[in-house]
Amino acid sequence: MGTVPTKFDIIVVGAGPAGSSAAYTLAKKGFDVLLVERGRVVGSKNMFGGRVYLKPLKDIYPDFEKSAPIHRWVTKERISLIHNNDITSIEFEGKEATSFITYLSQLANWMAIKAEEEGAILLTEVTVDRFEVEDGRFTGIRVGDETLKSEVIIDAEGANRLLLERSGIVAPLKPKHVALGVKEVIKLAKDEVEKHFGLDENEGLAWILMGDITGGTPGGAFIYTNKDSVSVGLVVILDEAIENIDKHIYNYVEDLRLHPLLKRYFGGGRIMEYSAHLIPEDVWGMMPPQYYYDGLLITGDAAGFLLNLGYTYRGVDFAAYSGYLAAEAVEQAYSSGGPSKENLAVYKKLIEDSFIYRQLRKFRGVHSLMKNKRLFTLYPLIMNLTARNLFLPEDESLKVLEAFKKARKGRVSWFTLLKDLFMVVRQV
Amino acid sequence: MPLKIVVGIKWVPNTTSVSIDEKTGTLIREGVPSVVNPHDLIAVEAALKLKDRYGGHVTAISMAPPQAILGLEHVIGMGVDEGILISDRAFAGADTLATSYTLAKAIEKIGDYDLVIMGHETIDSSTAHIGAQVASWLDIPYIYYAVNLEYIEDKHLLRVRRILEDSIEIYNLRLPGLVSIAMHSDVPRRVSLTNKLRARIEKPIRVWSNKELDLDPNCIGLRGSPTVVAKVEFMPKVPRKQEVYKDGDPKEAAKWLVERLVKEGLLKIPGGE
Ligand SMILES: Cc1cc2nc3c(=O)[nH]c(=O)nc-3n(C[C@H](O)[C@H](O)[C@H](O)COP(=O)(O)OP(=O)(O)OC[C@H]3O[C@@H](n4cnc5c(N)ncnc54)[C@H](O)[C@@H]3O)c2cc1C
Ligand SMILES: Cc1cc2nc3c(=O)[nH]c(=O)nc-3n(C[C@H](O)[C@H](O)[C@H](O)COP(=O)(O)OP(=O)(O)OC[C@H]3O[C@@H](n4cnc5c(N)ncnc54)[C@H](O)[C@@H]3O)c2cc1C
Repeated sequence: MGTVPTKFDIIVVGAGPAGSSAAYTLAKKGFDVLLVERGRVVGSKNMFGGRVYLKPLKDIYPDFEKSAPIHRWVTKERISLIHNNDITSIEFEGKEATSFITYLSQLANWMAIKAEEEGAILLTEVTVDRFEVEDGRFTGIRVGDETLKSEVIIDAEGANRLLLERSGIVAPLKPKHVALGVKEVIKLAKDEVEKHFGLDENEGLAWILMGDITGGTPGGAFIYTNKDSVSVGLVVILDEAIENIDKHIYNYVEDLRLHPLLKRYFGGGRIMEYSAHLIPEDVWGMMPPQYYYDGLLITGDAAGFLLNLGYTYRGVDFAAYSGYLAAEAVEQAYSSGGPSKENLAVYKKLIEDSFIYRQLRKFRGVHSLMKNKRLFTLYPLIMNLTARNLFLPEDESLKVLEAFKKARKGRVSWFTLLKDLFMVVRQV
Repeated sequence: MPLKIVVGIKWVPNTTSVSIDEKTGTLIREGVPSVVNPHDLIAVEAALKLKDRYGGHVTAISMAPPQAILGLEHVIGMGVDEGILISDRAFAGADTLATSYTLAKAIEKIGDYDLVIMGHETIDSSTAHIGAQVASWLDIPYIYYAVNLEYIEDKHLLRVRRILEDSIEIYNLRLPGLVSIAMHSDVPRRVSLTNKLRARIEKPIRVWSNKELDLDPNCIGLRGSPTVVAKVEFMPKVPRKQEVYKDGDPKEAAKWLVERLVKEGLLKIPGGE
């Protein structure tokens, strides 16, 4: 038993991967940490596709592989171009893995428990309404008509950054900055998952599909094998979706699940949940002007720290690692005399020296590919026609190049094709 | 004199997302997050309103598995002073008789109380037995479906209003007594930052197993439950007629609708044929 404090060293807002890793790291260093989450239980508001890269999490949690909720290791990667009832794929399979599949709700929960174990206080079902600001310094949080003071606030509120908006740090998100993700989780027995997808125990598949499955809207679909269920969903660029999509986005997931070539993978499964969430897409367009302010550090999706590789997202590990760096920055600021604005500036340096920033810069151009609709409809069509020409001969078989030429003819010029190819190779 | 109030809250599967297994007839609870029975949050609200107005102390009790600590934290977040979780394998499988017996014995153990408040009924079993049964075990008077409570301090009475179809009833309830609160009669308050912090830091929650309550094993849990579920039957699907009136004119549509309903014998027009 203790008494209720009116001030904490650090208040972390949002118990997603970014907030929980910050709270864990700070509590471990001996700070008084409060972690505030609006969801009724941690993980109830978090949603993602399915795959997380291990290394950054292992750097934060040395015992990660032993106790974290890991469903399957990604040993199989498949990228498919889909048109009508044809699918052309490339697949990589091996026995090693550097990423795993999990439920974000479980991982977020595990991370929050780790923070609590280190002594952080977790408050669920509390929504922060705004930050308290005094003389330009962020000094605490406001919930309804109550306030709580802090030396430093760590903002880990995710992509929908209402607190940063209300503080005047960022403008409201525009549809062009974000994509919309929707997902279903389909329950299957564990051995059915393994049988349907050709996996051994603990092995998993990360499968990306591009083509007319998003109805011509730039984006893609994904399928991830969980332990005893499968996640199926798609991501579409929001501004394009608003213009193009004429039916409820949910119908696209349903089309995917009922697709003649895909439905056998889910056969007999029961839909356990359906969810939708925003993803930062044009991260450079939506980044706040700075990641640190007087008394405030911004982490995770709220800061735009999410990498789109084109075939996969790295958001969870980036968010978690940025939370970890924010905690490091706070400690360094304290050891240089206190969490003044000048001392907190070390966060900028830590971020810019880290893989987060290097990677975001390197893949900066991927977003521009999203504007090129040919990639999402025309090329999947051409690739599948090429495959048809090659694999479904009447009597005379064609050479590969012939099959391709026949598929291309009248659909796209060589010039445009080479230009697009060059773009893709350069950015991805 | 400040009021000492005990509120019963039940930890129930969130039935908005529960389905029933047609083969076994049991609830599929797997992966379904539980919540405090929503009607009980209104009982908590009623207790807190009394406390706000007259002062006092509110204790929430719940007989449930250990996860229900979250539910007790929730109501402490709303302003309840302390929670008691009654939790033991020995209590599992209880019907309403065994449940009410256990709850009544726990309330007796709390000892010093003026008022017990329950919800209207639960969303997962909805028997509305528990209030009356608990009151009977405790041998105290009870009133169901109250919408408004007022404490008459000098007489130590509770003025209870309840609304029936064609009348409003007002009772003076002798204390100690029990009331159940009509569903939807109020809106529960949000949890507050300070109260939620208190729930996490002071942890004002006690857990009582049968070691603390020391009840006769024949009166609790499955053994203390005389009710037998003989069979669960599914309601046969009733085929429904569907007719759509396509013309736009609302007057004609209304006439058309009334004619149909009269023809089907679903509507009688006085004096008319
Ligand atoms: C469809 C989809 C697929 C994705 N696929 C992948 C993938 O396969 N791999 C991958 O690594 N990443 C993926 N991502 C991205 C990844 O989910 C995010 O990058 C990551 O969750 C960001 O973590 P975060 O902690 O910054 O924010 P979030 O996970 O969004 O957490 C923010 C938390 O803050 C809480 N909160 C917000 N406002 C308040 C407030 N005012 N008061 C209190 N609490 C508040 C929220 O409830 C939430 O719990 C995907 C995202 C989507 C939408
Ligand atoms: C035939 C039968 C067999 C059953 N078998 C089982 C079984 O095997 N396992 C099992 O888990 N359940 C079983 N139950 C359910 C269990 O007995 C009831 O859910 C429980 O007794 C409460 O009844 P109720 O939900 O109808 O509450 P109601 O009488 O509708 O509730 C009225 C009010 O009483 C209070 N209240 C009710 N329950 C509690 C509680 N547990 N703690 C604190 N306050 C409470 C609340 O304020 C609530 O609003 C069975 C029920 C029946 C009828």
